[in-house]
Amino acid sequence: MAAPHAWRAARVTPLGELNAPPRMTAVALRLAVQVVLVWSLWRGLYAQTGTTAGLSRDQAVTYAVLAVLASRLRELDQYAGRDTVLQHMHFGTIVYWYLRPLPPQRYYALRAAGEQLYGLAWALTGYVICLAAGVVEPPGSAAVAGVFALSTLLGQWVLYYVMLVLDQLCFWTIRNTAAMLILLFAQNLLSGVYAPLWFFPDWFVTMSAFLPFQATLSVPLSLYVGRIPLSDAAFQLSVQAAWVVVLALFTRLLWRRAARRVISQGG
Amino acid sequence: MSLRALRIVWRVTALNFRAQMEYRTEFLLMIAIGAIWQVSVIVFATVLLSRFAGMGGWDSSDVLLIPATRMLAHGLFVLFLGRMHWAGRQIQEGRIDIYLMRPMPVHRQIQLAFFPTNAIGDLTVAAGLMVGALSRSDLDWTAGRISYLVAAVLGGMLLEAALFTLVASAGLRFPAADYWGRWLEELLGTFGSYPLNVLPRAVGGFLTYGLPLAFVAYFPAAVLTGHGHTTGVPYWLAASAPLLGLLAYLGARLVWRWSLRHYTGING
Repeated sequence: MAAPHAWRAARVTPLGELNAPPRMTAVALRLAVQVVLVWSLWRGLYAQTGTTAGLSRDQAVTYAVLAVLASRLRELDQYAGRDTVLQHMHFGTIVYWYLRPLPPQRYYALRAAGEQLYGLAWALTGYVICLAAGVVEPPGSAAVAGVFALSTLLGQWVLYYVMLVLDQLCFWTIRNTAAMLILLFAQNLLSGVYAPLWFFPDWFVTMSAFLPFQATLSVPLSLYVGRIPLSDAAFQLSVQAAWVVVLALFTRLLWRRAARRVISQGG
Repeated sequence: MSLRALRIVWRVTALNFRAQMEYRTEFLLMIAIGAIWQVSVIVFATVLLSRFAGMGGWDSSDVLLIPATRMLAHGLFVLFLGRMHWAGRQIQEGRIDIYLMRPMPVHRQIQLAFFPTNAIGDLTVAAGLMVGALSRSDLDWTAGRISYLVAAVLGGMLLEAALFTLVASAGLRFPAADYWGRWLEELLGTFGSYPLNVLPRAVGGFLTYGLPLAFVAYFPAAVLTGHGHTTGVPYWLAASAPLLGLLAYLGARLVWRWSLRHYTGING
C-alpha cells in the first residue's frame, strides 16, 4: 500500500482531536491535574514511611506519574468519532470495513498507530515538563533509558494486541459492553495503572506474571525506576517479545474467523 | 410529581428492566461490572492501608468509612439519577430534540432512558463495605450518628448528581463537555475515597472549593470519626456537607432548566 494512503488512515484520529480544541484543552488540563494529584497522593502516603515493597518514595512517585502519562498513549475518544468496533457492530456498519479496498486489519492497525503516535506526543511533552519540574526522576543511566524505550515500544505493541482482542470479542457477542468494561478493568489493574504491582500480595504478583497485562506498563516503568535491575532486563524484554508474537498469531487467527461472521444488515 | 406521573415512571422502569433482561448474559455481566468497579476501590484502599501506616492520621477502620459512604452514595446515584452521566451522549445523538417533543420533562426522560443494571452490583458491594466498615468501627453508633450517616449518604448522592447535572447542562451548549463527565467520574473514583488531608493544602483546597469532592464522603466521615477539626475547613462547613449536597442539587437543576430553555440543537 502506498505510504500516502497509510498516512491518511493513520491521521484520522489525531486530526479529529486537533479539530476539537475544547477536547484538547480538557486533555491538557486533565493530565496536569491528574499528575499533580497523583504526585501529591504518593508523597503524602510516604510522609511517614521509608522504602515499601522495594520502592522508595521517589521511585513510587516517578512510577505513578509515568503511569498517568502513559495512560494518554491509548486514551482517545474514539467513541465520539463513532469508529469503535463495538459501535460498528451495534449499528451494523462493520460491513463497510470489508467493502473498502483497504483490509480491515490494516485499517485498524493504521488507526491504532496514528493514535499511539499522537498519544506519544502528549506523553513526551508531559514527561519533559515533569522532568524539568523535578516531579519525576531521570533514568538511572543511559542504558536504563535505552532499555526503557525498547520496553515501552514492546509494551505498547502488546497493549495494541490486548485492545485488539477486546475489540475482536465484539464479533462474537451482540451486547458486550459489560465484558469490554471488565476486560478493561483487568487490563488497568493487572498492568499496574491503579497502583504499582509491587504493592500487591505475592500471589497477585505471581498470577499477573502469567498474563500479558503487566508487559504493557508495569515492566517498562519498573525498569525505568530501577525496581527491575538491568541484569533482569533481557529476560523481561524477551517475555514482552514473546507476548507480541503469541498475541500477533492469535489476533491473526481471530481476524480470519471474524470475517466469516460479518453479514450485511438482514443477512 | 403526580400519582399518574409516578405510575408512568414505574411502568417505563419495569419495561426498561425487562429489556435489560432480554440479554441474560449481558444483564449478569452488567451486575458484575458494577461490583468489580467498586472492588477496584476496595483493592486499592486495602493495598494502601496494608502498606502504609494509616492515612493522614486516620486509622484503617476510620478510613474505610470514607469509601463505604462514597460507594453507597454513588450506587444510589447510579440507580436513581445516574443517567445524567449519559446525557452528553444523548445530546450528541440529538435525542434531546425528540425528548422536547414529548409531554414529559426532558430530565425525567433522560433518567428513564434505560435501567441501570450495574447499580445492582454497585450497591451490593457498597452495602457489604459499609457493613464491614461499621463492624470494624469502635464508634458508639447512636441514633444521631446513624441519622447523620444516612443524611451523608443521601447528600453525597445529590452532590454527585449535581456535578453531573452541571456537566450535562454545559453539554447542551458544548457537546464536547461530555469529556469532562468522564474526568469527573475518574476523579470521584480515585480521590473521593481517601482522607484528603494526606494531600498538600492547595490540592485539598481545590478538591474542597474548586471541585467539592471532599463534601461527598471525606467531610461527613471526618465529622463522624472525630476528625472534623483537622480537615482544614471550619467544622460547621464540614458538618453541613449533607445539606450542601441538597442545595447543590437544587441549584444544578435550576441551571439545567435554564440551559434547556436556551438549547438550540444542531440546526439552531
